[in-house]
Amino acid sequence: MLTRSPALAGLLFLLMAAPCFAQGDAKRGEYLAKAGGCLGCHTEEKEGAAPYAGGRALKTPFGTFFGPNVTPHPQAGIGRWSEADFVRAMREGRRPDGANYFPAFPYTSFTLIVDADLRDLWAYLRTLKPSTRPSQEHELGFLYRWRFLVGIWKWLFFKPGPYAPDPAKSAVLNRGAYLVQALGHCGECHTPRNFLGATKKDRYLAGDKDIAPNLTPTRLGKKGDGELKEFLRTAMTPEGDVAAESMAEVVKNTTGQLTPQDLDALVAYLRSLPPLPEPAK
Amino acid sequence: MKKTLVAAAVAVVVGGLGGAALAQQKPDVLVKQRQAVMTLQGKYWGPIAGMASGKVSPYNADVVSRNATYLENLAQMPWDGFHDSTKDEKNNRALPAIWSERAKFDELSQRLMSETSKLGEVARARNEAGVKQQFAAVGKVCGACHEGFRAK
Repeated sequence: MLTRSPALAGLLFLLMAAPCFAQGDAKRGEYLAKAGGCLGCHTEEKEGAAPYAGGRALKTPFGTFFGPNVTPHPQAGIGRWSEADFVRAMREGRRPDGANYFPAFPYTSFTLIVDADLRDLWAYLRTLKPSTRPSQEHELGFLYRWRFLVGIWKWLFFKPGPYAPDPAKSAVLNRGAYLVQALGHCGECHTPRNFLGATKKDRYLAGDKDIAPNLTPTRLGKKGDGELKEFLRTAMTPEGDVAAESMAEVVKNTTGQLTPQDLDALVAYLRSLPPLPEPAK
Repeated sequence: MKKTLVAAAVAVVVGGLGGAALAQQKPDVLVKQRQAVMTLQGKYWGPIAGMASGKVSPYNADVVSRNATYLENLAQMPWDGFHDSTKDEKNNRALPAIWSERAKFDELSQRLMSETSKLGEVARARNEAGVKQQFAAVGKVCGACHEGFRAK
């Protein structure tokens, strides 16, 4: 904020002091972290692993990424970060030193998270038990190692900015859209990608062959609300069919943790999507 | 529908007793049979999972014991249905990885048999705590195999 007069600056400071220094609500942040499924990538895949201490391998066509330690440990984690550093990481996909994150960290979705929620998430992350577990280096194909190339990728495929509610849609549908698009980042698996690894906007949530199914009414239209909600709570259908491992984990960490109202909103939003054809075999 | 399923399940049991009988089975029939086994596994698994996770109460040790025993037997049955001759069958969700990563698939099928067998043991012993623990292990194997070997 540029101001020329110190008096005006003082006045502005007083006016802005309240919202600026408002502490995020860690309890709300804990719920948002579940809705965001942060645990999955930021925790090692083994019994008794320290939560949020990093280590999960994410295999992609570009190489293997390892979720880093996001506990408040000053060296091993993000203990030295400011709230602004965290907001920049989530909204803009940039490290505190300005370098770009690889989009394996789904800031393409998280950019949509609104400021108040980012503050609450940050407040929650500060309450975690600091872990000394060092973050691992990513193992990437030689072409993909240069972080500056991510800048070009972002210029092509990434639009930063928080979710803007659609005034033509109900509050429930907007909430559902926010949960699916921003926090839940469902499209990161359920939308197919192009050869540069960017999601294809015209096939949003239409499924990616062998990776994740179509979530538009083309496929889900046959299933009742009760069946869908039961699946999202228990990772099982009423017939006793068991979800694949990766979705079962999402159910355990995320959809199964949502409030009944949020689950209703999520399903209502999926119902409202344009029906897109199944991915080609 | 139910009659077909029962008939198919019986056919699989009978088929499993003799390799010769199986070899003569048509691929499309083998697919139908293994799907029937999967359907029945779901039928008997659902109530166990419901009760073991506390979603369905009260816990009924008789139902759990009976279902776990059925499941233990059903878990032996799908595998010979994934015969090489069924590799190119259409209209089913079996992925080519079943045949290209056969060792991994076989290992998971072995694990399903051993984990359901352990579930049967604790269920018949009326060991509710044991069932609540073992049910998770069985669910894990189901999900692990549905990950890379069944189309989404």
